[in-house]
Amino acid sequence: MKEIKNKEKQQTAAKKKRLSLKQREGMMGYLFVLPWIIGVLIFVLRPLAQSFNFALSRVKMTPKGREITFIGIQNFTQILQEDETFPTELAAYLVKTVMAVPIIVVFALIIALLLNAKIKGKGVFRLIFFLPVIIASGPVMDQLVSQGAGSIPAMNTSMIQSMISFMPGFIVDAIMGLFENIVMYLWYSGVQILIFLAAVQKIDTSLYEAAKMDGGSTWECFWKITLPTIKPMTLLNVVYTIVYLSNNEQNTIIETIKNAMFGTTGSKGYGYASAMAWLYALIVTLLVIIFAAALALKKDVYAKKAKKFRKEQKKQERLIKKIEKRGEQYEKQKAKRVAKAAKAAR
Amino acid sequence: MAGYKGSSINPKKFEKSQIKLIVAVSPLAVLMLLPIIFIFCHAFKPMDELFAFPPRFFVTRPTLDNFRGLLKASQTSGIPMSRYVFNSMVVTLSDVILSIVLSTSAGFALSKLKFKGKEALMEINNMALMFVPVAVMIPRYLVINALGMTNNYLAHILPLLAMPVSLFLVKQFIDQIPDALIDAAYMDGATDLVVYRKIILPMVKPAIATSAILAFQQVWANVESSNLYMNEDGLRTLAFYMNTLANANNTVAGQGIAAAATLIMFVPNLVMFIFCQKSIMNTMAHSGIK
Repeated sequence: MKEIKNKEKQQTAAKKKRLSLKQREGMMGYLFVLPWIIGVLIFVLRPLAQSFNFALSRVKMTPKGREITFIGIQNFTQILQEDETFPTELAAYLVKTVMAVPIIVVFALIIALLLNAKIKGKGVFRLIFFLPVIIASGPVMDQLVSQGAGSIPAMNTSMIQSMISFMPGFIVDAIMGLFENIVMYLWYSGVQILIFLAAVQKIDTSLYEAAKMDGGSTWECFWKITLPTIKPMTLLNVVYTIVYLSNNEQNTIIETIKNAMFGTTGSKGYGYASAMAWLYALIVTLLVIIFAAALALKKDVYAKKAKKFRKEQKKQERLIKKIEKRGEQYEKQKAKRVAKAAKAAR
Repeated sequence: MAGYKGSSINPKKFEKSQIKLIVAVSPLAVLMLLPIIFIFCHAFKPMDELFAFPPRFFVTRPTLDNFRGLLKASQTSGIPMSRYVFNSMVVTLSDVILSIVLSTSAGFALSKLKFKGKEALMEINNMALMFVPVAVMIPRYLVINALGMTNNYLAHILPLLAMPVSLFLVKQFIDQIPDALIDAAYMDGATDLVVYRKIILPMVKPAIATSAILAFQQVWANVESSNLYMNEDGLRTLAFYMNTLANANNTVAGQGIAAAATLIMFVPNLVMFIFCQKSIMNTMAHSGIK
């Protein structure tokens, strides 16, 4: 009796231990993220929450301190209905980014593939293509752009302008801006090239060999092997590009928000500026979601096929059941008829 | 890998088939080099070339006048320049190292370990990624003030530590590491810490090097923290100092000083990059992933 009890005890203890092991694993996870969580809580989340609070209120800086009065979503409605510049700037930003992101990502992919090919002096080329990253931010960029180094001089921009002039004004502006700063966008693509390179190098070379054996061309290899394999990295690059473009110093919207916040002439109060920033963040997030959804749209072909097959199977099963039911009914009716006939005959 | 050649990435021989690739890459490479050439040229331009209209890209008569002006301006201020250099170095080094440790460990946990609330944490990070830094300037100041960290190195370092971008980058790279590799290590009795040090860190080296460069850039050029959180001149950073020098003499002479200061601020970036480039460029050559 005692032994059994002891055994039970041991078992429960073991159970407890197993549970705690799982918990310990979780603990380890928390331990690893803990420093980061603390940092984010104090220096990112708390300020963010406070700024959201500001966005919903009217903030006045007085000699005594801050005066905050809650006014609900009034700031947001004011921006959308009364502000003359901000909504149009937002629209221009949207169009510009939607066009710039594919250009940057595709360019980065092409360069990454070129740099992954067998060329003499590959190392030097890789260095050169990453170099703009270390200066693309900061005052150097401003000077370069103001000197017109961002455009390709030989390009005839006025012809393009006349070609697309049937479109609404802000779209034309955005496209022209794109052409004027095309070199600048190339400078932005350093990190993306790097990420693509890392992804492309990780692809197993035997995959290509197998494809070559089956007679696949390089073109086919690119679409069927390279592109699907580096898809997660493409998503990463797209998100990185959007975020980079949105929080870039060259971006005029940031300047507008800053002016509304601290500027002497354009100042509209801290609450109003915070609301602007939140609206902007919302739009950037939406943009990221749209791009991510567009990239994730194409599901795995085999999963799709399996789903289709299962559907078909279910359909057939239902059909068989239907037929069986009909058969049963027919049998019953037949039996009834036979019985009736027999009755009548009697 | 059949063609594994150690850490060298260049093919040994030059062949005719490479010509078309070089032709395709070279013009783009020249475009990529433009900003750097510009910085160097700009710093050595004499006054009349700085203000030449239309602006000229290359320098025709290089001088050291701008650097002389910078030196002269720095001698007039009370605090020696070495103090600012020291401040900048302490802040930047600690920030880069700490932010790498933070983002890799957090990335490892968020990607490979199992615990509750993982997805939510990642979503929070992604949300923070989208937000304009300008908007949190005043709330951040309030936090720093409440913690009593004004006039303290910590105010330089801590706000920039949690870099959402680098966590995002590193996590995406760690996601690519196959679980089988990590499970094998656990089978052999490795603890989480060993897995982190021996598997995760070596395998995401390119991501680490990239985020190190990004962090370096952000901290090195950061003027905001010196501007907002520091009252004592002796605690401010080199970036701030250079900025004031260029702004204080924002007359005609200031332009030359600004150009020279830009070059000086840029050189550490270049050094840092050359320092990191080997691990960046070697990306995944010997990662053992098949």
